[in-house]
Amino acid sequence: MTETSTLNAQDDFQLSNEERAILHDVGYDDETQRSATSILIDRQMRVAQSSHDDVVMMPLAEALRTFDFAQDLMFGQVLAEGNEDLLEISAHMDDPLGHFTWVRPGAKVALPVQSFTVLEMPQGRQFTHDITLIDEGADVEMISGATVPEFVHAGRHVCLSETYMRAGAQSRSVSIEHWGGNMEVRSYSYSQMEKGAHSSSTAISLGTVRDHQAFSHINLGEDAHSVSQSIVLALEGTTKRIDDEITLSARGARSESVTRMVAAGGTIINNAVLIGDAAETTGFLGCDGLKLTESGEIIAVPALRARAEAAQLSHEASVGMVSSEKLGYLMASGLDEDTARGLIVQGFLSLNSAYIPKTVQDRVTEMILQAKSGGM
Amino acid sequence: MLEFKNVSVTVGDREVVRELNLKIAPGELHVLMGPNGSGKSSLLAAAMGLDGYHVTNGDIVLDGQSVLGLSPDKCAKRGMGLAFQHPPSLDGVTYTAFAKAIGAENALEEEAQRLDLAQFADRDLNVGFSGGESKRSEVLKLVLQAPRVMMFDEPESGVDLEHVAVVGQAIKRAVSTETSDAPLRSGIIITHTGLILDHVDTAHGHIISDGRLLHSGDARALFRHVQSHGYRAPAA
Repeated sequence: MTETSTLNAQDDFQLSNEERAILHDVGYDDETQRSATSILIDRQMRVAQSSHDDVVMMPLAEALRTFDFAQDLMFGQVLAEGNEDLLEISAHMDDPLGHFTWVRPGAKVALPVQSFTVLEMPQGRQFTHDITLIDEGADVEMISGATVPEFVHAGRHVCLSETYMRAGAQSRSVSIEHWGGNMEVRSYSYSQMEKGAHSSSTAISLGTVRDHQAFSHINLGEDAHSVSQSIVLALEGTTKRIDDEITLSARGARSESVTRMVAAGGTIINNAVLIGDAAETTGFLGCDGLKLTESGEIIAVPALRARAEAAQLSHEASVGMVSSEKLGYLMASGLDEDTARGLIVQGFLSLNSAYIPKTVQDRVTEMILQAKSGGM
Repeated sequence: MLEFKNVSVTVGDREVVRELNLKIAPGELHVLMGPNGSGKSSLLAAAMGLDGYHVTNGDIVLDGQSVLGLSPDKCAKRGMGLAFQHPPSLDGVTYTAFAKAIGAENALEEEAQRLDLAQFADRDLNVGFSGGESKRSEVLKLVLQAPRVMMFDEPESGVDLEHVAVVGQAIKRAVSTETSDAPLRSGIIITHTGLILDHVDTAHGHIISDGRLLHSGDARALFRHVQSHGYRAPAA
């Protein structure tokens, strides 16, 4: 039986053209190209719809009432105590605001599942809790985005995301964030990968945001494999702090994680810790930074903790400016300096996933050019 | 016409080219020979306006207009191009992205095939290339750019014998290809091994040593002289 959300806007998602436009910039596509869609705007779940029998997409509050297992997934990977942001979210556990996505056991979902959170109210306060369950042997592609309209500059967004990948589950995901210039954003992401699960993810953080702090923790079980890349841009007036923790907790777990940072006048602080908790685990951490302007700062601190014998962990970190040698090389083929710089930075960021919208790639290029010309 | 008029070039505080004179007429292909560190590569880099190469004396003139002080892209726009001796690695920049950026994506597949680089479209530029692949890739880059003056910095060094012919034929074809904006192209090749001479049509050779042009003459005769006497001017 297919559980259907009470929010099912079928033919028309009741989105304005402006809303569609900003959602497109963070990966949205119409329902013919997606197997399921959920869109949360301010404090209301505007759309929660699935056209795939094996994908359940609904507001978390509704999932709590529909599936008794949903309550066990909430705060299943983290305790709220001691963290004001999480306490605020946990205060609404009986009526939470957020996306619930469940891909049923064995499902092979051809079209991506998409979910978005938008803050449309200037000076709005948004506390969200998303739960994703990719069940045993399921295979899915996921696109998620969080954004604001151009007229929203200030506000506060706090989100907790808990992802459960059951044994043998596979996912490929892209997430894109684009916030307002005077916003405060706190995001907490927890993932649990069971035996043989495989995850490949790309996270992109664009735009100016006064203060963005993101914490993530991935816990890998036996033979689980995670490949992740994060792309972070910090323009003038932006501070982004990213704390990542990856635990290889059982034999055969593998992880490759790379963070690529571009500071164009802003500050990026990246602390990444890779923990080898079991034998025969392998992991790699990469933190690479590119500074486009004299102002701003990149702090990259990759750390390794080997707790088990024969855990093979490695890391690398580099921070630098765009090389004049590379610029000269491309310019000698007739590219002007801005185009050459854009090509180098886009290459550095590896913006080559099929699910990274062209608009995102163009926006990155535009930001790079503006940063170079002092426009930011 | 590309003309080096009494050109001196410094790199850092070292003078590497000294009062050098050379004329390359449309349709001509010239070969520069000289030992390592003799200033050949610096001469081409200075002509291309690359960072760190300063023309301290004389002038470099293309079709009657000086190119001194122009940035590399302006030099390229004026019709010059350089196949680098040591191209930098560009992680994440695929050949396809590069070809698209210079407006040559339509020519990429066919030209890459000709240089035995058909599988390179999705590879990052100069990343993990062998020595030979790197040289062929640089020739491909210049073929795609199709400038009126093509400068090749040691295009055959490190290339296996089979591919030297491929590189040579590509250079020969590129230099002789006529288009409406470039009815007659010209070229300069720097060579150490001389192997490229078997595959290109050139009558113009030059020996450069210690930054100075020592002698000009028939390219193949000069190369035979270099093989037997080293980089010295033949006796008068």
